[in-house]
Amino acid sequence: MSTAHTTHVGIIRRTKRLLAGIIFWVMGRGLVACARLDSRVRDEVATWPDGSVITLMMWPGTPKTSVRKFDGRLTALGSRDIEATLRVTFKSVAASVPVLLGMKAILQAFAEHRATVRGDLGLAMSLVRCLHIVEGYLYPDIMTRRILPSPATRQAGHLRAYAGLLGASAPIAPAETTRGDAA
Amino acid sequence: MIPAYYEFSNRAKILSGEYAIEHIPFELASMECARPMLVTNKQLRELGLADIVLSALADGGVTVGAIFDDVPVDSSVQVVNDLAGAYREAGCDSLIAVGGGSVLDTAKGASIVLSTGATDLLEHMGSEVVNARAMVPLIAVPTTSGTGSEVTGAAVIKDTERHVKMGFVTPHLVPDVAVLDPRMTLGLPPRLTASTAMDALCHAVEAFSCRQANPLSDAHARAAIDLLREYLPVALDDPKDATARLALANASLLAGAAFSNSMVGIVHAMGHACGGQCSIAHGEAMGILLPHGMAYNLDVAGERYAELLLHLAGSEAFAATPAEDRAAAAIGGVRTLLELAAEKAGMPTRLSEVGMTREQLPAVAALAINDGAMSFNPKDASAEDILSILEGAL
Repeated sequence: MSTAHTTHVGIIRRTKRLLAGIIFWVMGRGLVACARLDSRVRDEVATWPDGSVITLMMWPGTPKTSVRKFDGRLTALGSRDIEATLRVTFKSVAASVPVLLGMKAILQAFAEHRATVRGDLGLAMSLVRCLHIVEGYLYPDIMTRRILPSPATRQAGHLRAYAGLLGASAPIAPAETTRGDAA
Repeated sequence: MIPAYYEFSNRAKILSGEYAIEHIPFELASMECARPMLVTNKQLRELGLADIVLSALADGGVTVGAIFDDVPVDSSVQVVNDLAGAYREAGCDSLIAVGGGSVLDTAKGASIVLSTGATDLLEHMGSEVVNARAMVPLIAVPTTSGTGSEVTGAAVIKDTERHVKMGFVTPHLVPDVAVLDPRMTLGLPPRLTASTAMDALCHAVEAFSCRQANPLSDAHARAAIDLLREYLPVALDDPKDATARLALANASLLAGAAFSNSMVGIVHAMGHACGGQCSIAHGEAMGILLPHGMAYNLDVAGERYAELLLHLAGSEAFAATPAEDRAAAAIGGVRTLLELAAEKAGMPTRLSEVGMTREQLPAVAALAINDGAMSFNPKDASAEDILSILEGAL
């Protein structure tokens, strides 16, 4: 195998990982932005136990992004190291890029065993519903029509969501019951 | 149908039929195990089912290291930890689980603790997060024909402090050996025979129609339904028919292998919630809810249901049904089996018959929407959709 070919493959590999890192960052910030803009996300997050840390990451450890619900706020923590309550780990960069780019449904990725989940599977379901709404804001309808289980609906425009990526924290009103109270 | 990507895993060795239990000593020896712990419950000991296994072990010259018969109806973290502690204390080297889903899941939970050296089972809650070079050898001897737990890579354990049922999903949990012996199910009461068979049917139908159905899980699901259609009526007419009992045990195992890989969907999500919220027996909830869940999925999963008509109703009925009517007829086939179970075994067909009320349904729907099985249903559903299905089944 030539040196040029090896270099080329290495560049592609690093580019994919870099791309995944950027999309993870956008997903984390997007979740926070949607918690500010969309009552459905806010209501979902309100049911998460206080102190919950949710991490999306690539196996074996990077890139990753985390969000934390604490003291009535949802905060994007970026790629900092923190113990997660719920950790979703994609098994490979190559297989996760279509999911992260909105070309494949996240539920389909779970069905195909493309990701592992450490933690409460009920909380993971809530996260998936939130991510579907986030995807509805981040991607155009022509893309989400193919991957979301039902047509995307938005309570604010795409531009407000993109602008919301600049904020790292959103207030969350307390829910009547949290997920840990469920039977 | 070939999915773009799928995974399938089933490492269990199957021993099925006459004197299958008597082969356990050989299987232990082949895994270099000499001191097993028997895991069961007190009811099964009183019924003499554990004695059948103990007798076979004695005949094979196996010394049982310890017997743990404190498994309750709903397993819990505490029970799993107690079991793991007793196993270590007795110096055992393998587990033999004799019982229904709760006993088998308890043994699986203990195998996680024992194999990973975990101090807290919660460390491994989730999907595919157990890492172990080798698990504690586990032999599963089911005493019902429904859960398929003897070949599934899943266990449900209750956290009694937080009042939540925790899911553990990993191929590492599939037992090394699954033993199907008709003696284990000959004494099952008719209603339990019917409800556990409906559970197996639900596993097969949902595995066949959910997001990750694949050629291998399809083959298992089809074979399971064929056996259920042929032998459930026989077992209900003559509970002592050993051939029918063995066939139902095989159907349960086949359906278990199918859904362990392609998972289940909305019917199980609702059934788990009915159990968690209203203590409804799982198999009965499955039988009641299956036709309603299929009707909900019909517009998305119709082609798959149409294929199942061949197995639910037989080749002549399949051939006589126009292609466009086959999916609906498949739901009719499920209803026919359910009505047969109701007539011959008193199986309930409505949620109201098991004591559920309209007032309970919103809480059940809210719980179902967060069940992991919803990820795999072929059609999206909101809490309102689920409430509507439950109202239809009331």
